[in-house]
Amino acid sequence: MEKSNSTQIVLMKGITCRFGDVVANDNVKFDLVKGEIHALLGENGAGKSTLMSILYGLYQPEGGEILVKGKQVVLRSPQDAIALGIAMVHQHFLLTLPHTVIENIIVGLKPKKAIFLDIKSAERKILELSKKYGLKVNPKAIVGNLSVGEQQRVEIIKALYRDIDILILDEPTSMLTPQEEKSLFETLQSMVDQGLSIIFITHKLQEVMAVSTRVTVLRNGKALGTYKTSETNETRLAQIMIGRTLVPHREKPSRAYKSLKPVLEIKDVSALNNSKVLFLKNLSLEIAGGEILGIAGVDGNGQSELAEIISGLRKVLQGRVIIDGREVTNQSPHSIRESGLAYIPEDRMETGLVLEYSVSENLVLDRYYSEPYSGKVFLKHSQIRKFAEKIISDFDIRGVPGINAPVRSMSGGNLQKIVLGRELSRSPKVIVAHNPTRGLDIGAAEYVHNQLLRQRENGAGILLISLDLDEILEISDRIAVIYEGSIMGVFKQEEANIDQIGLLMGGKKDRLDSTEVDGSANK
Amino acid sequence: MTSLPIQGISIRKINFRPMVPFLSGGLAFLVGGIILSAAGVDPIYAYQIMIKGAFGSVRALADTLVKTTSLLILGLAVSVAFKCKIWNIGAEGQLYFGALGGLLAGLSFIGAIPILAPVVVIIAGFAFGSLFSMVPAVLKVKLGVNEVIVTVLLNFVALLFISYLLHGPLKAPGFLSYSPDIHPESELPILLPNTRLSIGILIAGASAIGVYLLMSKTKIGFEMRSVGANIKAARYVGMNVSKSILVTMGISGGLAGIGGAILVAGEQHRLIEGISPGYGFIAVIVALLGKQNPVGVTIVAFFFSALLAGSEFMYRTLGVPVALAQTLQALVLVFVLIGELFLRWEPKRRKI
Repeated sequence: MEKSNSTQIVLMKGITCRFGDVVANDNVKFDLVKGEIHALLGENGAGKSTLMSILYGLYQPEGGEILVKGKQVVLRSPQDAIALGIAMVHQHFLLTLPHTVIENIIVGLKPKKAIFLDIKSAERKILELSKKYGLKVNPKAIVGNLSVGEQQRVEIIKALYRDIDILILDEPTSMLTPQEEKSLFETLQSMVDQGLSIIFITHKLQEVMAVSTRVTVLRNGKALGTYKTSETNETRLAQIMIGRTLVPHREKPSRAYKSLKPVLEIKDVSALNNSKVLFLKNLSLEIAGGEILGIAGVDGNGQSELAEIISGLRKVLQGRVIIDGREVTNQSPHSIRESGLAYIPEDRMETGLVLEYSVSENLVLDRYYSEPYSGKVFLKHSQIRKFAEKIISDFDIRGVPGINAPVRSMSGGNLQKIVLGRELSRSPKVIVAHNPTRGLDIGAAEYVHNQLLRQRENGAGILLISLDLDEILEISDRIAVIYEGSIMGVFKQEEANIDQIGLLMGGKKDRLDSTEVDGSANK
Repeated sequence: MTSLPIQGISIRKINFRPMVPFLSGGLAFLVGGIILSAAGVDPIYAYQIMIKGAFGSVRALADTLVKTTSLLILGLAVSVAFKCKIWNIGAEGQLYFGALGGLLAGLSFIGAIPILAPVVVIIAGFAFGSLFSMVPAVLKVKLGVNEVIVTVLLNFVALLFISYLLHGPLKAPGFLSYSPDIHPESELPILLPNTRLSIGILIAGASAIGVYLLMSKTKIGFEMRSVGANIKAARYVGMNVSKSILVTMGISGGLAGIGGAILVAGEQHRLIEGISPGYGFIAVIVALLGKQNPVGVTIVAFFFSALLAGSEFMYRTLGVPVALAQTLQALVLVFVLIGELFLRWEPKRRKI
């Protein structure tokens, strides 16, 4: 281990891995140099996580070899990887919430002393690590009470506790506020300063530029090259990553059409969450026709509840919801839709679609009961098919497995296009779009954004609820921040300040009394 | 059937799926044969007797079809509910209520009106079964009570209630706990003279076509299927999920009720205790094996009826214990279910 700073400590050569007919990794080469932060960049499904799961012993490659610290190794399980000093922190944490930080960290390790757990010395070691790398955490805290950022620190300490020197982080920033993200990057820096090597999986270009020493780009399972971060730039990386030049992002919102009347008004609404706890508290919002209002916030701060009270899936305890001047508070989802709502739900697989239905059945799910899709009793299959064919071509839905075959096998992007096709062809007055690009690659995400922008031009008011702050900043006209069921502040897009939004997402409202909570759109 | 890839032709390319149920059935009879020989019966002779009992004569075939009538209509009843992912295990109880409805109609003055009477009997069976199924349906919709528990328990309620009626208010004069006979005008016309095969089989067949049309061609059927396939999506697109559940249970219970009314008006011409030898429970198996598809249910109902008729005949002719005949039925079931399991089995992909 006492080699010079430029030695490769991991070398993966010719790695090939297939899942059925899908080639997840195709002859991939990857190397990690001691003391660097190496970003692994690629779109969803490019093969980043597969490659790292191979290095962590979760998958066995069909071909290729792996050298760790100069020695050829076969990794059959994560235990093998950990023994070699490799640990991985997954995107979704693997912690038991009712247990303490110490318990979560030492779980799975054999106690050295007889049968009893040596909590005391574990605590000492955790505090040492915490100090050494600036990972603030209270060892005795219950994990379930910690914020997402703190839980991530627990995951990292859990890895470090096993005396590893190679750390793999899978999309570590996806659940963090901008502030937490910044502190994570500082921690990573101090870790490499002390001799660790880090692999950082991401699909965000800014993160690559912000933290990495080198970057390897993957596309369609192939490694397209490794670059020194200082010698490349975001535009070039983007080109390599998606295989074409990104259309220079959307011309500035045209305001040709903009109604003065709000199409969606939420007035002082309170509602319970699934555990019957008062969660939305006196929430008010207004959206004008021809406007996109972005809702920024950390996951689980009332976004789902907000979408559900608008669409009628959740009861409103007090307050009012008005769509296009019509009171729809606590009406059925059916009648709210009839009032002009389209709703792109958070989860297209679980809520948005019936996976065992065909494309055409999914497309008429919301209108099968009306002319021309049915008569008094019977469905009119020929009319339904005609409509489906039109939507399939209008929305460029690809990979349709057959007119009667279930949509289950289709890709995420095309599934989302089915949802869009159905919802947007209603000529809606209000659109609630909840994480509409989650899990989509850049091309598909761009398509979704363009469709939303087109609806805005048509005069629809759009509520864009997203965990992806970049997405919100990119296409919203105004941005509201939600925290623990309340709106913390509303900003015009051009006045939005990322630091301030980040603080509000974390619930810090100091010195921000001037924000316009009611957010009138008619200025 | 070697499983080695030969010159690029892998075993995967051959579709074994349609053969699996037959293979499973064959294995069941093989194992059954071993048990039969252990009991001192020549298995080949026993199976010959069995086939004779199921198809060997007009009488035998009629007996099989009489059983098919009940199993088909009950299988359809359960299928409609299962398709909507409502686990109605209460078809047996709904059958008994339908039988009661049919009996009351057949005893009343309307039961004496020619031609109209059988129609009213069948409608009464539907109405009584349907009404009885509203108990679990309303509890589920209004209070979120699990329908499995309620329907299972209501079977006992129905059976005991019918038993009470047959020992009390509805008891015919005499020693036995039978109801009085229904008016002859209420009896379902017999298709084959000297057998019990009535037009009930035609009603069951029509029900199969009706269920097919309902589920795949109508708006309400689309709603029912959607609720079954993804209740969250159904709610989200604005379907009235509660209404769909009530309608589904109403149809399911109603069909079971028709099954009961056919037993009264087509077979026994009165209500007796144990008028159904557990058709409502066998129907659950029929619905599962028939994949809740009217064609599949029809085929499975016919084969199960043949198995029932055949093993009964075997027990009467060879004097093998009833338990042995039932063992054979159970074996077929177990093997077919194992076959199903293999069909559904796919190598697991490791997930992080």
